[in-house]
Amino acid sequence: MIELGIEEKTYTLNLGPQHPSTHGVLRVLLEMEGEFITKAEPVIGYGHRAHEHMAENRNYHQFLPNMGRVDYLHALAYNQGYCMAVEKLMGIVVPERAEFIRVITSELNRISSHLLWLGAYLLDLGAFTPILYCFDDRENILDLLDRITGSRLTYCFYRFGGVPQDLDEEFITGTRAFIKRLRRRFHDYDNLVTKNIIFIKRTRDVGVFTREQAVRYGLTGPTLRGSGIAYDIRKSEPYSAYPRFNFEIPVGERGDVMDRYLVRVREMEQSLRIIEQALDKLPDGPVMAEKVPKRIKPAEGEVYQAVETARGEFGCYIVSKGDIKPYRIKLRVPSFGNLSILPEAAVDTLVADLVAILGSFDVVVPEIDR
Amino acid sequence: MLMSKIKEALGALGLEQVAEGDYAKTGCHLEVKAKPEQMPAVAQALLGADCFLESVTALDLVESFTLVYHFANFWELCRTVVHATLPKDAAAPTISHVYPGADWYEREVYDLFGIQFAGHPNLKRLLLPEDADFHPLLKSFAAAEAKAND
Repeated sequence: MIELGIEEKTYTLNLGPQHPSTHGVLRVLLEMEGEFITKAEPVIGYGHRAHEHMAENRNYHQFLPNMGRVDYLHALAYNQGYCMAVEKLMGIVVPERAEFIRVITSELNRISSHLLWLGAYLLDLGAFTPILYCFDDRENILDLLDRITGSRLTYCFYRFGGVPQDLDEEFITGTRAFIKRLRRRFHDYDNLVTKNIIFIKRTRDVGVFTREQAVRYGLTGPTLRGSGIAYDIRKSEPYSAYPRFNFEIPVGERGDVMDRYLVRVREMEQSLRIIEQALDKLPDGPVMAEKVPKRIKPAEGEVYQAVETARGEFGCYIVSKGDIKPYRIKLRVPSFGNLSILPEAAVDTLVADLVAILGSFDVVVPEIDR
Repeated sequence: MLMSKIKEALGALGLEQVAEGDYAKTGCHLEVKAKPEQMPAVAQALLGADCFLESVTALDLVESFTLVYHFANFWELCRTVVHATLPKDAAAPTISHVYPGADWYEREVYDLFGIQFAGHPNLKRLLLPEDADFHPLLKSFAAAEAKAND
């Protein structure tokens, strides 16, 4: 039993693990005084699949498919983080064209993740319509990515040394058409959501995170940037082909739920900009490095590689002891750090606000549970 | 410069090693070796430099554990990795009073490795069920045995 030290004037409310607003199996134990929360304790681990243990029992190639299943909404960023960490260990240099393809596909995947969040989040807040629009747009991305990666959700597309398949003309024209389409749709979203008075009342000045809290809890991603700190790994610790593109890091001012919403929406526009530039500048050449060893057997050593996923910093920490299997892989996932602020953020809020705050993290629970 | 600031702050603590790392190879700018009991002071020094805690994890080196802490900074690129060797039966002091974000990371390390963190306010299992009687990331752990015990 989980002890909460309950006093007589309070009562316990159990949110989840099966609850529509927790997006997966997340349980939050709430101690309530009337309508206000006095204590909140997230209970996680329902979807624990022991990815880190699996990593120690298979070789580097065999662990690749796991990366599509940690954060299933931005799987390609996890593909990229893991591949880059192994490439760093092995000293493999990825060809230019492959880096561009990685950026294009990963950014498309980021938009699809944000679109799903947008729809589902507004559903949490009681607005049913946006999710229908978002899924309509997201479907386009899934079709595009399906065309070259072969899957719609749990992608396993990148390889050590590049990507296995080149882009075709149809993908490129399809992506260009999609960029045009989504830019038009942003106006609709803006009218539908951003200026909606109910939405504003539910989100303005709710769940404010300060700069100091962000440092102490290690917040990353849009959850952090909503608080005005422009920390995005794509700019702060540039990797892959990102330094070649012009894009901005949207940040919020007040650090509330509304700001985190605005950051994500503006981030989608920036992702479109990146994809557009990458398609324009797409260099010729191979998509796989030459002479990638068939047997990945890195020398003894360790590496930490960070990438920016839709939710924040994913860090892949690999320790090699010179074997064909990794000695240890630690997956530093963004939602884990982000969600750990919830007990502090939930105090003195209403349950309805808690749902708004929880949703604003964009948690993907299987990512936290690993 | 952030790196020299961190170096200076850590230099005063009498740690085993504060050295510049090979960033292109390891992804870390500063490689630090400390004793586990120095960790609260190390964390305090890094918090003073506005660094945030990226992760806390452990390695089971069979004859001992190594605790691995990663710190980074929002405003300037400088990743600090701290390694602390911990004997198998010893407890490490918590840093969750310095970085509340460490609370969950330490619980996870306890859950997966069975390492105790002295002074932790709520050290109980995080990912595994409350009644689990094994620590799956120990090298001595075999999944098949745990299943047989079910």
